[in-house]
Amino acid sequence: MKRRGRGIASMWYPVGFTVAANPSGAVVKVNEDGTAVVLTGTVETGQGALGVLSQIAAEALGIAPNDIHIVSGDTDTCPMDTGAIASRTTYITGNAIAAAAAEARDTLFEVASQMLGVKTSQLEAKDHKIQVKGFPARSAPIADVALRAHLVNGTPPIGSASWNPPTVPLDPETGQGKPFGTYVYATQIAEIDVDDETGEVEVLRVTASHDCGTAINPMLVEGQIEGGVFMGLGFALQEEILFDKQGRQLNPNLTNYIMPTTLDMPVVESDIVDSYDETGPFGAKAVGEPSLVPTAAAITNAIYDAVGVRITALPATAERVLAAIKAKRAMEQKQIPA
Amino acid sequence: MNVTITVNGEVRSASVPPETTLLVLLREHFLLTGAKTGCDVGDCGACTVIVDGKAVNACLMLAGQADGRTVTTIEGLATREGLHPLQKVFEETGALQCGFCGPGVIMSSKALLDEIPNPTTAEIRNALAGNLCRCTGYQKMIEGVHEAAEMLQSTTTPATLATKTPATPALAALPQR
Ligand code: FES
Ligand code: FES
Repeated sequence: MKRRGRGIASMWYPVGFTVAANPSGAVVKVNEDGTAVVLTGTVETGQGALGVLSQIAAEALGIAPNDIHIVSGDTDTCPMDTGAIASRTTYITGNAIAAAAAEARDTLFEVASQMLGVKTSQLEAKDHKIQVKGFPARSAPIADVALRAHLVNGTPPIGSASWNPPTVPLDPETGQGKPFGTYVYATQIAEIDVDDETGEVEVLRVTASHDCGTAINPMLVEGQIEGGVFMGLGFALQEEILFDKQGRQLNPNLTNYIMPTTLDMPVVESDIVDSYDETGPFGAKAVGEPSLVPTAAAITNAIYDAVGVRITALPATAERVLAAIKAKRAMEQKQIPA
Repeated sequence: MNVTITVNGEVRSASVPPETTLLVLLREHFLLTGAKTGCDVGDCGACTVIVDGKAVNACLMLAGQADGRTVTTIEGLATREGLHPLQKVFEETGALQCGFCGPGVIMSSKALLDEIPNPTTAEIRNALAGNLCRCTGYQKMIEGVHEAAEMLQSTTTPATLATKTPATPALAALPQR
């Protein structure tokens, strides 16, 4: 018979390691038509990083993401980036781009302060304009300011910056220090059915609540969470590389290395926690890898809730769960006094 | 052997060795590289195309078996007026990430919608069960198929949908440091 269970698991995950140099560089150039070019060494792998980085540059310059042309991953032209790894792109590359964009914007402020007759500190970049704070009507289009910077002032609006998470070395005596730039947190809850005659686990619903700092693009954050839960579910229940005694893989194909399909995936409810990190670009931290960290623990806790067995080796295949259920029954029978 | 198929509305022929699969015919002879070679043994669905109305794994069908039939690939979906609603919705909602599975998922979805214009979630899950995706967790695809079904059934044409709001918001509301 099917038994329903719920499990919960929480995690923290470090972002921006500082044990070794971990920099990203960026160049931002504002064009005479009010668009901008961003050079970054990071690469897009489908997670939407370049979209998020465009949004960061656009926000810093007061223009639209579609006005940003990103040149990425080209070692001939782009500054160094430690890589699209370790859930670091939004946080570290984003910080580098925000700083480079701010430098280009400062040049625009210098030029616009002469055009508008105010101090640079009174200016802001917004809606494709450099405008006086509180008096948006007193403004100049960014395209005009950029053109003037080139042709009149002779100070093309170009910024370059790199960002490396600030390091605090670990104290050899106490082990204390700051090994990572920041931390993200998440809690996931899994609701499952376990068939106590076959050991089969069906995940019905996963609720995933993630603190990723400011969600610069909530749709992409959801995509990362859904994909992470999917990978965590495969890790929990299905995916396992099997080897023979010689170390040859026994299941090298997708017919015998089983990953979840549409029929295995539950509905995922994503909850993005309202949060802001002072050290991240516009308050953002990270979401990539952390999205799958708590899933397997939540599912195995739900198995315990449903049928009272602790699964301590993954994946919790039907065979393993059934063996655990049988062992538990055998134990209980022994304990019944005669 | 000579093979002639109608692919995306165009009659095309090629002379190929008999062991040639439909996938190789499409990709290497007709240079239609939209259908992807994922596993080449029928496990992943990345090569899905529509043959006479049915979604098939092109890596499992011989080119000779497709002779005389009508084949639609991902390249056949967009028109001069714009993307197919499935493509449009998938793009706007971030239903794909790396995109490798995308042509297959979209062709499986199209075959489903051609047969069942207003499918249930269970029917969508069934139709996509043979399309593996390593990135997304499928959720936005499943929602996207529902949305595309609605678009196809409403009177709105893809041309007017093309002017809908872009996917990336300007994010005027980002908190400032
Ligand atoms: S390439 Fe045909 S199913 Fe994988
Ligand atoms: S989007 Fe990457 S495999 Fe589906």
